[in-house]
Order: sequence, then C-alpha cells, then structure tokens
Amino acid sequence: MTISIGDKIPSADLNILTDDGPGGISTDEIFSGKKVAIFGLPGAFTPTCSAQHLPGFVNNADALKAKGIDTIVCLAVNDPFVMGAWGKDQNVGDKVMMVADGSANFTKATGLELDLTEKGLGVRCQRFSMVVDDGEVKSLNIDEAGAVEKTSAEAMLGEI
Amino acid sequence: MTISIGDKIPSVELNVLTGDGPVAISTDEIFAGKKVAVFGLPGAFTRTCSAKHLPGFVNNADALKAKGVDAIVCLAVNDAFVMGAWGKAQDVGDSVMMVADGSARFAKAAGLDIDMSAKGFGLRSRRFSMVVDDGEVKSLHIDEPGTFEHTSAEVMLGEL
Repeated sequence: MTISIGDKIPSADLNILTDDGPGGISTDEIFSGKKVAIFGLPGAFTPTCSAQHLPGFVNNADALKAKGIDTIVCLAVNDPFVMGAWGKDQNVGDKVMMVADGSANFTKATGLELDLTEKGLGVRCQRFSMVVDDGEVKSLNIDEAGAVEKTSAEAMLGEI
Repeated sequence: MTISIGDKIPSVELNVLTGDGPVAISTDEIFAGKKVAVFGLPGAFTRTCSAKHLPGFVNNADALKAKGVDAIVCLAVNDAFVMGAWGKAQDVGDSVMMVADGSARFAKAAGLDIDMSAKGFGLRSRRFSMVVDDGEVKSLHIDEPGTFEHTSAEVMLGEL
C-alpha cells in the first residue's frame, strides 16, 4: 500500500557515496528530528530528471531552507556510485543529499515502486515528493509517468 | 546454470543509448555473424570497473580489433541512461559499445547474475569476459566478487 500523509517513514537501509566509498545510512538517521524535503524519481541521468527535477531542487535549495527545511534528499533506485556520479555531474554540491535505494528497500516499503522491467530499467520508484517532519509524512505528491508537475521544487515551495 | 564455452548466447533484448534516447537491441543484432569481445561487470561508475576494467578495453580496442574482434561490448545491469553517461565520462567514443542490461535479462539467462541486494545494489552481473563468434561462446572468464584478474582486456589479448 502506498504511504500516506500522517504515516511514519518506514525504517529502511539506504546508501550514500562518501569520499571513502559507499556508506550505509538508515531512514532514521536521515529523518529523525529534522524537517526533510525528499523527492524520488525513476532514475539518475534520465532526461526529465536531469533536465528538470533535480536542478529544480538544487536551484531552490536556499529558498526551501529559508522556509524551515533542514535537509533535501534525492532518492532513486540506483546504487551509490551512480547517485554520486550524477550529483557530481549536476553540480549538486552539499545542497541535496544523493541517496541510493539500489535494492529498492525504501521504494517497496513505501509502496512507491514502478515496474519498468519492460523498458529495461527493472523495478524503480515513481516520481514523488514529500515533506517529512521528524519522520512523519506531512505532504505527498506523486506524478504520472513521464511528467514533472506536482513533485517539483516549485510546487513544494508553494505548499510550505 | 552458468553459460559455458560452446553454448549459444541466449536471445534477450537489451538497450543502448542513442542520440534519440534509449533504443532496444537484441543479442542477435549484437552477435550474429561477428566476432565479439564482451565483458560484464557489477556496475557503472564503480571503482574497479571505472579505474581498470572499462579503460583496459578502451585502451586495447585497436589491438583487439587487429586480432579479428569486430565489436567490443561492455555490459552491466544498469539502464541505458547510466551506461551512456558512464561511457561519456570515460571517453569511450565508438571503441566500446555500452550495452544496458537494466532488467538483468542477459545476466539471468546466462546464469551470470549475482545478488547484491544486501549491499544496496539489487541483482547485478558478475565480472566476466567472453569471446563470442557468431553467437557461440569461444572463451569465458569469471572473476570472483571483489577481484579483477582473469577478465581483463590484457588477458583476452593474450588468448586471441
């Protein structure tokens, strides 16, 4: 079942790329005691994501933080090497935390999976955005496949 | 069961990134009537692969072709966008065809899959190399996880 407003973020193990290689990070470490803007997308280096979704959050990072967001998280079903390479390619710096859900642990636990096996991408996550306060989902938007509308940084800024 | 010398390459659909986006390509299109050097690895942008495996084939592409290889194929369980971005980052040019097995069809059909879910990578391909002549496996090497010994371009060159 898909996660809803008011739900707690499920406990799942994720990964980030550090200078020493991939490092594990739990959802508890990411969300506990913080207000987090998280957005997910079907894949790193894909045109819609690269051209619109991620840059929107990078460009609006300061504005989101001015409205009380402590951390901005980009999540995809890619491994930490790919997420790290994509963040570097997009000059993300420390504005957005690039989080790898390579085994789809978070995606499956939140019911946000999207089966793109036929297209040669395996199981991925839907394009979504959430504001999460101390682990509780405060807002949730999901876009239809192929679109970036409700899940953009601009839409989130208008809601908080 | 893992593929063996003398076996035919299984018929599966894969993907490559073109100027117009990802397109499907069948193993028949890749292998029929040609002598192909194919190597597979657990993931794009990972350290062993980026630092050694792929560049080895890029640097030895002319030498391999001088020994009768018509095409060199790099294969991983990543999608076409990631494989394309990795090829660009590694300046592969047209020396190596970057082939995406994003839904692990080839890896599973060839019995070369490795479950890296616990490490946050999902199902991937083992590190391997093959020389394939008109769809028939003529040589096969598989490296143990975390090692890079038998599957290098240099080893393949010595055997051709």
